[in-house]
Amino acid sequence: MTYPSAPLALTAHLALVSSISFGGFPTVLPDVRNFVVGTHGWMSNQDFADVFAIAQSIPGPNMILMMSFVGWKVWGFPGAVVSAFATFGPPSAMYFAAYRVWDRFRDAPWQCIVRHGLVPVVMGLVIAGGVVMARAADTSWRAVAVTITAAGVMLLTRLNPMWMLLAGAALGGFGLL
Amino acid sequence: MTEMAQRQEVAQPVSLTALFTGFLIVSVCGVGGGSGLVWTRRIAVETRRWISDREFADIVSLCQFMPGPNIVGIAVCVGANLRGAIGSVAALAGFLLIPWSLGFALGLLCLEYTHLPVLRNILGGIAAAAAGMLIATGTRLLLPHRRRPAALLFAGLAFALITFAKLPLLVVLVGLVPLGIVIAGIGAAKTR
Repeated sequence: MTYPSAPLALTAHLALVSSISFGGFPTVLPDVRNFVVGTHGWMSNQDFADVFAIAQSIPGPNMILMMSFVGWKVWGFPGAVVSAFATFGPPSAMYFAAYRVWDRFRDAPWQCIVRHGLVPVVMGLVIAGGVVMARAADTSWRAVAVTITAAGVMLLTRLNPMWMLLAGAALGGFGLL
Repeated sequence: MTEMAQRQEVAQPVSLTALFTGFLIVSVCGVGGGSGLVWTRRIAVETRRWISDREFADIVSLCQFMPGPNIVGIAVCVGANLRGAIGSVAALAGFLLIPWSLGFALGLLCLEYTHLPVLRNILGGIAAAAAGMLIATGTRLLLPHRRRPAALLFAGLAFALITFAKLPLLVVLVGLVPLGIVIAGIGAAKTR
């Protein structure tokens, strides 16, 4: 907030890291933390941790919101808006271009081969992501039971997943987990 | 597969409003990592039948290879699939405009109350359920590949390298995917 180039520096940096955040935005979080906490001292370490926890637990576009909270700390509301754009803008353009290429070769023989090689690996990663999340969230056997039940219900039925989130929230809120 | 393509061509084009509201729901329902995947599959594949599981798995896999928040990519690609560039904009706007505003206000409020134990307990319960939902969605998207042993082997390898060996995501992707594609290519050549 102290000098006018701060918002510009933050925006440029976010646009840069969002363009190279292969494997999702969380992979560049350590770099963003160094930039805003270490190099520039716009936020404290605790600020950054709080902002992360909040962004993870409220509904909505988590990482974009998190960067908006960082932008808010640096330059108030305009900083929040600009940071959001810097986070999703450049990758969106790349996603669109990549999809156009993929779509152009729809049902080409090589695409089927790529799919057979690529999709299982990615789904293994997705399942692993769920297990990693479960390890962090499941602090008791009852929480493990919630995770297993949610997975089972989702696999076997077409029940709206919102019920499982509500059940988890209620059990947690009443101190049962 | 061709049946699916035909049915899509015959069906009415998905309206931009539907794309906007669909991704609005995905965004508002999404809590915690990977939730966008769960809810986009629920809406785009299961309830509204915009795209097939195969197309959805393609999009998710493509997005893993690109920088940025993957769920933004899923919105852009599903929008592009259904309505081209304007579809991407509608999906992205639905995903971001209202949820960002609400989430931003809620987040600033929450930042004042991060110490309350009740809030932490509720968030913990949600996280436990959300983790199970992510595991189930990944499993469902893997199901079409269950008859190919190589596919199950590679899914298992990717899973183990992340959960047990704790390798970075990018290392696992770059290490396993080319190998997986080569083996799938050899398999395809044999059956021909």
